[in-house]
Amino acid sequence: MRMCLECAEKNPDRLCVECKYFIQPGPLRRVLSPPVQVLLEGERRNQYPAYILALNTREFGLKTEAPVPGQYVMRLQESLWVEVAGVPFKGKNDVHVFDILCVHRGQETARRLSTEEYQLLAGNTGELVVEISRHLPEHLQNLVREKLLAEVEKSELINALRVGKVMKYEGGRFRHLSGQADLDLPMEEAEKLMRQVVNQVEHRREVIVSADGQKVFDLHGVPFDHRNGGLLAFDITEVIEKERRMHRQEMQAYREAIAAVTGGRLYLVNGEEMEKVVSEGTELAKGEVGQTRDIPEARRAMREALPVLDGRRRHAITLCLTEALTNALKHAGGGCWQARQSGDTVRIIVQDRGPGIKNSELARATLMQHYSTKNSLGCGFTLMLYYADYLYLNTGPSGTVLALDFGVVPADRLKQDQ
Amino acid sequence: MLLLKVGVYVARGVCRVVLNGELDMETVAQLQEVVGKVGECTLEVDLSGVTFVDSTGLKCLLDIQDYWRQKGGQMLILKSQPDVAEVMQLVGLDRLLTQNSAPAEEER
Repeated sequence: MRMCLECAEKNPDRLCVECKYFIQPGPLRRVLSPPVQVLLEGERRNQYPAYILALNTREFGLKTEAPVPGQYVMRLQESLWVEVAGVPFKGKNDVHVFDILCVHRGQETARRLSTEEYQLLAGNTGELVVEISRHLPEHLQNLVREKLLAEVEKSELINALRVGKVMKYEGGRFRHLSGQADLDLPMEEAEKLMRQVVNQVEHRREVIVSADGQKVFDLHGVPFDHRNGGLLAFDITEVIEKERRMHRQEMQAYREAIAAVTGGRLYLVNGEEMEKVVSEGTELAKGEVGQTRDIPEARRAMREALPVLDGRRRHAITLCLTEALTNALKHAGGGCWQARQSGDTVRIIVQDRGPGIKNSELARATLMQHYSTKNSLGCGFTLMLYYADYLYLNTGPSGTVLALDFGVVPADRLKQDQ
Repeated sequence: MLLLKVGVYVARGVCRVVLNGELDMETVAQLQEVVGKVGECTLEVDLSGVTFVDSTGLKCLLDIQDYWRQKGGQMLILKSQPDVAEVMQLVGLDRLLTQNSAPAEEER
């Protein structure tokens, strides 16, 4: 402590940041160039501008007019602020060491800066962004920097949620730069992505699901050159889950609307419910369609399998089977069908592996007469809605399942009733 | 087994196409082919022997009528069976297709 007083007298121009007594030397001691400007707030809310000249995870070397000794609060980000106390005998003139008393991040507190906070101040991510964009064409540099800084900013916000990470890829090895160090990235996939990125020197983005299927990661790989690149990784599991929830809510709204306008006869069901629908009762007949000639063949098989019925009902069932199979053939290139009976209900089920009916088209495709995306009369669904008693529809990117229920009172019993 | 039999009878400027069987995605091409060969005349499509028509079959009949009208001709649908007539009515084609339910006056 005497040393600083002596130094102030003997070498007033010597810079504190160059002095080993100022902030403990070591790998974590970092001199910021240029200094980062912050604001110190005193106990009576009096504010002093300050410049961070150097830091480690426990101390700041500040250039400030704020009186020393004294306790201050330094705000670094919205949810990150640090309580510091000036050390009078470390430093000279308006440059002093300030001990970190307490780091407040959101609800948490700590006695020292975390690696991320330290690196945030030490400017690593900023450097990374500049390095990333340096090799780009000039007109793109600012745009990319802006976007990446926004990403990094986001990743720093995401730090609070503990789900983001920035890494540097150096010829096959990753170096953690900032963000959540223990983010459980599928490193094999990340390495594959970065290999492609540096080999082809182009930006790549991939969404990867962890091996156990529990986590979803959004990975952005940015090349620096043929060996090195930057990797931004985000855990988007929660975002995806939120999207799914929204999709489920949307489907629920559709379900209710469609059930309402069809008088509760057309149900949009989820995969699980459809499993049940397609397995009830006993099988009467089944088949596949891959070309137009399979459709009359399916009708023939259907007629043979049906119980003895009133002719109009037989016609209705074979017509609906035809319409459903025609749709599967037109929109999905084919599919399979089966007929099942349980009690007095015959259920026909047509299943395809096509691209599904989009949510936005669902209402029109099922309810609107003469609506067709494939240049047909577009009344197949109208006919099915008219003849079937109940309809169950499950559609998605991996295919469509349609089940139609027909009440069948056997012809002989019908005569007895009359 | 032939699913659709298409018979063509021409007399005094009237061409009658008599269909027997099922009109659907598999068989519409047969009807289109026959109609494509018919010269200028009034076209009558006799559905009395048709036991099954689906939306693809109806779309084909509507297309043929449009095509025939563009050529300046007339097309009539004759004698649909009840199940077929019901389907036509359900999709509103009974109003779009010109029909004549009375038996045709000409002998075949």
